[in-house]
Amino acid sequence: MALDGIIILDHYGRPIIQSGFRSSTTAYSILHIDAVNNALQKAERSADVDSVIYVPPLNTANGSSACCHVEVGDLRFLCPVSGDVDPLLAFAFLQTFIDILREYLGTVSAATLRDNFDIVYQLFEETLDSGGHPLTTYSNALRDIVIPPSLLNKLLSVTGTNFNSTINSGFGAGAAVGPFSSPLPWRKTGVRYNNNEIYFDIIEQLKAIVNKNGTVVSSHVHGKIEANAKLSGTPDCSLNFTNPQVLDDCALHPCVRLHRWNRDKMLSFVPPDGRFTLMDYTFSSNPLPSPSPTQQSLTSVMSSRSNLTIPFIIKAIVELEDSGGSFDVTLTSRYSTHALENIVADIHLGPGAGGIRCNVSRGSGGGGFINAGGSRNLDTSGASSGASWSFDAQRTVLRWEIPIVSPSSSWSLHGSFSTGTRAPRPSHAIRVRFDISSHTYSALKVGQLKVTNAKENYKPYKGVRGRSSGEVEWRW
Amino acid sequence: MSIKAPRKGENYELSVDLNSEYREKRKDAIKRVIASMTVDVSGLFPDVLKNMQTDDLEQKKLVYLYLMNYAKTQPELVILAVNTFVKDSDDPNPLVRALAIRTMGVLRAEKIIDYLCDPLQKCLRDENPYVRKTAALCVAKLYDLKPELVIDNGFLEQLHEMIADSNPMVVANTVAALTDIHIAASSQPSISPNDPALFPISSSILTKLLIALNECSEWGRVAILNALARYVAKDDKESEHICERVVPQFQHVNGSVVLAAVKVIMIHMRGVRREDLIKQLVRKMAPPLVTLLSSPPEVQWVALRNINLLLQKRPDILSNEMRVFFCKYNDPLYVKVEKLDIMVRLAGENNVDALLSELKEYASEVDVDFVRKSIKAIGQTAIKIDAAAERCVHVLLDLIDTRVSYVVQEAVVVMKDIFRKYPSTYEGIIPTLCANLDELDEPEAKASLIWIIGEYANKIDNADELLGIFVDTFTEESYPVQLQTLTAVVKLFLKKPDSSQGIVQRILNTATKDCDSPDVRDRAYIYWRLLSTDPGAAKVLDSILPLGPLSYRCRCILAAVVLAQRPPISIPRTTVAPALLEELLGEVSSLASVYHKPEETFVGKGRVGAESLQRKTDAPDDRFSTQKALQTVAAGQQAENLLDFDDAPAVEGRPSGLAATEVLSHTPAAANLLAGTSSNPLDDLVSIFGAPATPAPPSANSHDIFGGLGVNSAFSSGGTGSLGSPAVQSPSVAVPPLQKNQQPEDDLLGLF
Repeated sequence: MALDGIIILDHYGRPIIQSGFRSSTTAYSILHIDAVNNALQKAERSADVDSVIYVPPLNTANGSSACCHVEVGDLRFLCPVSGDVDPLLAFAFLQTFIDILREYLGTVSAATLRDNFDIVYQLFEETLDSGGHPLTTYSNALRDIVIPPSLLNKLLSVTGTNFNSTINSGFGAGAAVGPFSSPLPWRKTGVRYNNNEIYFDIIEQLKAIVNKNGTVVSSHVHGKIEANAKLSGTPDCSLNFTNPQVLDDCALHPCVRLHRWNRDKMLSFVPPDGRFTLMDYTFSSNPLPSPSPTQQSLTSVMSSRSNLTIPFIIKAIVELEDSGGSFDVTLTSRYSTHALENIVADIHLGPGAGGIRCNVSRGSGGGGFINAGGSRNLDTSGASSGASWSFDAQRTVLRWEIPIVSPSSSWSLHGSFSTGTRAPRPSHAIRVRFDISSHTYSALKVGQLKVTNAKENYKPYKGVRGRSSGEVEWRW
Repeated sequence: MSIKAPRKGENYELSVDLNSEYREKRKDAIKRVIASMTVDVSGLFPDVLKNMQTDDLEQKKLVYLYLMNYAKTQPELVILAVNTFVKDSDDPNPLVRALAIRTMGVLRAEKIIDYLCDPLQKCLRDENPYVRKTAALCVAKLYDLKPELVIDNGFLEQLHEMIADSNPMVVANTVAALTDIHIAASSQPSISPNDPALFPISSSILTKLLIALNECSEWGRVAILNALARYVAKDDKESEHICERVVPQFQHVNGSVVLAAVKVIMIHMRGVRREDLIKQLVRKMAPPLVTLLSSPPEVQWVALRNINLLLQKRPDILSNEMRVFFCKYNDPLYVKVEKLDIMVRLAGENNVDALLSELKEYASEVDVDFVRKSIKAIGQTAIKIDAAAERCVHVLLDLIDTRVSYVVQEAVVVMKDIFRKYPSTYEGIIPTLCANLDELDEPEAKASLIWIIGEYANKIDNADELLGIFVDTFTEESYPVQLQTLTAVVKLFLKKPDSSQGIVQRILNTATKDCDSPDVRDRAYIYWRLLSTDPGAAKVLDSILPLGPLSYRCRCILAAVVLAQRPPISIPRTTVAPALLEELLGEVSSLASVYHKPEETFVGKGRVGAESLQRKTDAPDDRFSTQKALQTVAAGQQAENLLDFDDAPAVEGRPSGLAATEVLSHTPAAANLLAGTSSNPLDDLVSIFGAPATPAPPSANSHDIFGGLGVNSAFSSGGTGSLGSPAVQSPSVAVPPLQKNQQPEDDLLGLF
């Protein structure tokens, strides 16, 4: 295992900050930065650059290495690796590190990094050993050793009080024990809240491909349960579901007791303090049959998996001519109870496309107005216009945005484009992204949540919410 | 020697602030120094050092941070810090103790090292687990700098004891440290198997690791799993035990834990004899792998590469999951390409329709590279699944109908492979292909169509007309097209001798006189000489280049060679050799698995120290093979398409037989060459033997030709191997031509 370090590049490929690289030569990190920048320059689309780049050695004294990189907003995070390391380890570590940065800095950008150099350097030191081993990445434990920047800290440093250093050197109030002495590595000891609460967000994402006949070619729903625990002491939670059979391929936070889950489908855990992802799962509308499934039953599982209803229908009529084309796209919501929100439909018009003329309108269909409840308010803003379109000339992507599609309503976009001298070659697919609040595809229901605490007796406030999003490729 | 800070500028201001009498001002100045570490602030070393002694933990950490970065530039001054380090390693605050130990280990300064051993000794026995785990990793760093210190101080024994630590984090870090030392030690040339630095996993260590596995952090789990992968199980019971204990790791959220667990299972599954357990393990492996595909593209790609490898060993893992691999148009190209590959691998009779409609969809995408690869995938599917070949051909015809230039060209290339696999099955579509003759401008597509025309010359009425087009432009074509044209015309002549004398004469004339490629010229000469032995043809040809009439059998040789039925083709089930595959499976979840090359071929070390010095000697070699490995990776897709020449089944229905040529065409490379389908540059070797400036006496001549062929086929069988499909030709295939070619030579000599 040897993750040699982390380098963060800005939008122009210049390094903002990097970890020590103490066990390698000074040229090592520069070599990697150059390799990545070169690869990016050569590629037409930056997304098409291989995510693991081979970096030849500068001279024969050093062996070769590879550079794993990810783009985050405007920034690019590099993780050079040498020796035979699993690149997935590098990516997993980068992701973890980025999550940590988010937690510390709020947003991760060149500006926030520059404002908090000292914090970022400390995080480098605490999370990655110079020998290449990831160290502490549980945020609960990290917060003990690297103090997050906060308004309070700033105030204190202005007034000249040296309060925070006494906190962290003496582990002052309540926490008589040192760091890392907690029996649970993910949870710090001595947590205290006036209001005890725990929230769960069930978040599901649908990814689907629909062919031109409107039949679903493939669809998958990945879900996760995110939790935010603000509970005093060492609470022991147990959570069960009324319909656990919809859960498949579960991946659990290390705090969950595996045997209880495997035996009773009950999530039993002592939560970390704060936000964490309790579990990841795949939604299967049909639970896997007996241990030795026959060929037939497996294919039936497969088809049932792809039977999930896509929440909308698209009718697209595209006519291509010698030097352009016209399109008429209609999107109709299939849901009768939930509104689709933040709809973004991307149409890739292909090389040379331009001269877009477009008209977006709300179709006549759908009874959004009459529908009960909140949707009426939503409609008044959406009905007038709400929907809009834009064109990214560089990527030749036409984007159609609709803030809210109320139940059963329909929207349309029609227009034309030209491709100059070339024959038009648009992608035969429309990519639609959307959100649905207070809804899950799996209809996963929390049955009961028990919080027990040996020492203290409190009744925490508990909350569960559902939220869905989707990304559908609709071919025409 | 002290370095004076500059008098002016920001550094000067910082220097003043660092020496301020106010605590907060000093601390703030340190923060500013840290913030400007991207530029050179080494001049402030003495000023920063003064602030090391402090109760403020944050300030201490910042100063330590600065020291770690600039100790290299100020080795003389570092010694001033030693006292504070040693004192801090005894601090009541465990964070300070750990910080001191960690920093001392990282400084890599000779002078510090000597003071490190005593504090390290203490910290390895510290009551606080955080300090212990930090100390454990520090031992590995010390070993990197001065191995003898580690051995003399008994740190290794202490580490071995710490494997049984009560805290799983300490266990995980100890394992990581011992593994680092193990790797460093085993890279030494003169290592004895009993060297204390080696870290063999014994069965008692195994037990401890399996216990710690479920308790520690994800990174610790990866370290432990990697160690478990090295363990050699005593018997099948133990293998089963390991598998059962490791399987729950599949449910971890962290992908690298999942992949490391897959690796351990794949390794120890070899030892498992219980069929039901194997089945169960394989079934449990699929869901976590599929889950990885919902990650961001870069993670997906790594997962896909590993899945590709796993599928080669166990095609049954994901047999019902093909739909997961369907491409989205906004997937990055490198992900799409990998998905295509896996889809073809998973293709079977039950899912081939879904696959084909997907592939057809991809063929209408914007990205040209991807379109071509999709069409290639259609061809591979046709060759893999006999029952679906017809459907594939229909899809290809639909694509040809689109008349998009590159689609048509790629489809024609693919069609040629289908004709090779299913001879005389789809002749009906030849007119459609020929109708697109004008559209073709790429050499490969042209060559493919010419091959098809030549092969079916007797069934195409206007074959001579069609070939005539290429003969007219012969000198303007690229060499592969020229070679293919030449062969096709000769085929035409052999099949329809009466109507094609003119064209064959024209091409042989042009090829031998106006062509600047020795390769093309030589092939033309060979054909010419063989042809001129035919009584009918000889009449025509002798008038241009008189050669003595040879036996009738020579013409038969030509017919046998040119019209020989080629061995059937199939797509390789694996893209890497079985032996290599075994090795690579051990490397699942590693860089090696991503590049599908064994570790040694490309792994180097970007580190300073003994290892890299030791590597100096073999580094150039390393580098060469790395580049080669990566080229092969790039050519990975190509390798898929290098259709396998299966040499095993006997060829039946040979038009006419001569023992000698039969042997020749049995060897893939020779068949390849003789049939004129080879684009191997090593064909040029023929020129050494077969390009006499003036016609030599016939007997000597044909001896030369076959001598040339013999040598050439021996060479080119190695050559095709290096083209990117080393797996396709196992050594047993490569060897025979060398011995067997003696035979034809003798036979022929006997003839004359």
